[in-house]
Amino acid sequence: MLCFVALAVFLFLSIFSAKYRPLARRALDCVAKKATLRPCDTGLDEEIKAASLSGIMKASPGAAAFANRHFEAFSLFFTLIFFLSLFFAAQGLYNFVIYGNCNGFEGGFCIYSGIQNELLLKAPSSLQGVSAGNPNANITVIEFGCYTCPYTKAAEPDVLRLISEYGNRIYYVYKAFPLPTHPYSREAAIAALCADDEGKYWEYRAALFDRQQDVMQNGTAALQGIARSLNLTAFGSCYSSGKHNDQLQKSTDECTASGIYGTPTFFVNGKAFAGPGAVNDAGKEVKGLLGH
Amino acid sequence: MPAFQALAMWMAIDADRLRADFPVLKSSGTIYFDSACTTLKPRAVIEAEASYYNEMGACAGRSHHSLAKKTEEKFESSRERIARFAGAKKEQLVFTKNTTEALNLVVRSLDYSQRKKIITTPLEHHSLLLPIMEQQRRGVARMGMLGVLPDGSIDEGSLSIIDRNTALVAIHHTTNTTGMRAPLEKIVKAAHDAGALVLVDGAQGVPHSRTDFGKLGADFLAFSGHKMCGPTGIGCLLGRKEAFEKLDTFIVGGETIETVSLEKVVWKSAPKRFEAGIQNYAGAIGLAAACDYLSRVGMENIERHEHGMAGKLIEAIKSIPGSAIYGSPDPSRRSALVSFSLKGVAPHQVALMADSLAKIALRSGVFCAQVGMQALGAPKEGAVRASLYLYNTDEEVRTFAEAMQKIARL
Repeated sequence: MLCFVALAVFLFLSIFSAKYRPLARRALDCVAKKATLRPCDTGLDEEIKAASLSGIMKASPGAAAFANRHFEAFSLFFTLIFFLSLFFAAQGLYNFVIYGNCNGFEGGFCIYSGIQNELLLKAPSSLQGVSAGNPNANITVIEFGCYTCPYTKAAEPDVLRLISEYGNRIYYVYKAFPLPTHPYSREAAIAALCADDEGKYWEYRAALFDRQQDVMQNGTAALQGIARSLNLTAFGSCYSSGKHNDQLQKSTDECTASGIYGTPTFFVNGKAFAGPGAVNDAGKEVKGLLGH
Repeated sequence: MPAFQALAMWMAIDADRLRADFPVLKSSGTIYFDSACTTLKPRAVIEAEASYYNEMGACAGRSHHSLAKKTEEKFESSRERIARFAGAKKEQLVFTKNTTEALNLVVRSLDYSQRKKIITTPLEHHSLLLPIMEQQRRGVARMGMLGVLPDGSIDEGSLSIIDRNTALVAIHHTTNTTGMRAPLEKIVKAAHDAGALVLVDGAQGVPHSRTDFGKLGADFLAFSGHKMCGPTGIGCLLGRKEAFEKLDTFIVGGETIETVSLEKVVWKSAPKRFEAGIQNYAGAIGLAAACDYLSRVGMENIERHEHGMAGKLIEAIKSIPGSAIYGSPDPSRRSALVSFSLKGVAPHQVALMADSLAKIALRSGVFCAQVGMQALGAPKEGAVRASLYLYNTDEEVRTFAEAMQKIARL
């Protein structure tokens, strides 16, 4: 069974060193025979078993005996793990190519994104958006978020802590990036801008995240309900007028231009942070810049 | 201390000192227990073989320039030294590529028109068994088998099958599966009484004990250089003059003839008749150096050393629970070669793990003697074989025993 794993490993190593190529050929021969229900007679599986057991034996003879007794089961387990890993890696790669994130529409942490963060994400050129803090501060924190994204919601407490902790020493800007995969994300972004018109953005934003499930299920009705609870008198006309459509489109275009593939994504003085720990990393960056 | 004990100690092999002669032992750090497959080569042999390429590089017996003459001298003196080592005359030695070729030469070239039977044993190496089976398949000869007793020895009662219709008795000197010797004296007598020739496969015999081809009484004796500290690619067939004359040509070509026309070929007599084409001069020179090396150590000393090692090896294996030794466990009947199995662990696994755990080189499988291993009761996958030589030490056997104990607990 281990021939399957060996083939992938040796093929990969063969790219870097010719000494692994004969082993890859033997593994391929073994896999071809196994696939056609013939016994593998290359001896490679025996060599792998001997090397594995010898290594274990040096550490613990008892463990080696146990591994020997159940070697086929272990082989099967590792082979299954290998194929599952291979499947998920391929699925992630497909999502990354199609959606820009290995998790697909949902976004979130993506191993491939680590490379992309450094290479492809570009800080937005404008500071337009809902803001907090000191516009003249030396440190600018830009968040690209989506009100109906669970990851943006999860980051929200840390975002609020960042704003309250550093106050006027930073300038925080929120740019809405309504992801089409999240229900009513665009409507929520428009509603938040309408609330901002009446000076109740932060209250409305807090309510949006609090009632995220309700918004995602009931859409406009839920958004209007939040507005009523906050006594937003012009909300209805603002929401239906389309007056913030251009502003939202501009924000979305900025996101696309920056190469954002998931929310939330932060930029601290132009340096990108994406993924589940992004807000904490951004906080550390701020702390570092302030010399704390 | 009794005088004979003092003498024995004086004559004993100092394996630790000898090991310095073998560069591979130092460079690899391996415990080499696979000498039945091929032995390691001492520096003297490596240098002797290289000397042909460094100092001669010509062909023997054809050209007349000084390099050719030097090659001829070295080649023929090598033949003489090797023949002397095996208790034969230089005219009795045909160079071959290895034992396999020497055995094929006799089995395939003998005239079976008057006598049809070839008697052999199931214990033979494929190098001997297969040529005989091929002669049978072609309808040239019929194969007959001597019996094998449960302890791996030849059933001497079965010698009666050697009769007036037997052309050849082909048998091992020492098996490569158990290290046990055949009762050659009785077999040679039975064969000669019936008027049959005797071919002895000496691949595992000549390297391990003093050989006197004259006293052995056999008509042919085959052995390889690489199993006795010599180079690969060189072997020998010793034969009595009258026996060689009973053989047809085998591989023919340059230097095998006196004269040739399109109507008639006059062949040379042995050994040249069987040495077609350019020979392995470097190999012959290297093998002669190996014979000199072994002679300096002393074949009696080597034999005594091996018997001692065989005893320790057998004791070590017997002490492992679930181990089984193929052939007689009596070390006095063996060279330092033991085939064995460990219960619950496949032979290949044992050999591979011995290499991984303690850098011990063992052989596993059926040792090119599938029929023989079956006759000994081994399973299809065969057994593990430890085969020692003059450079192996007690310490190595102890390390081997420890490794086998660990592997047996799997």
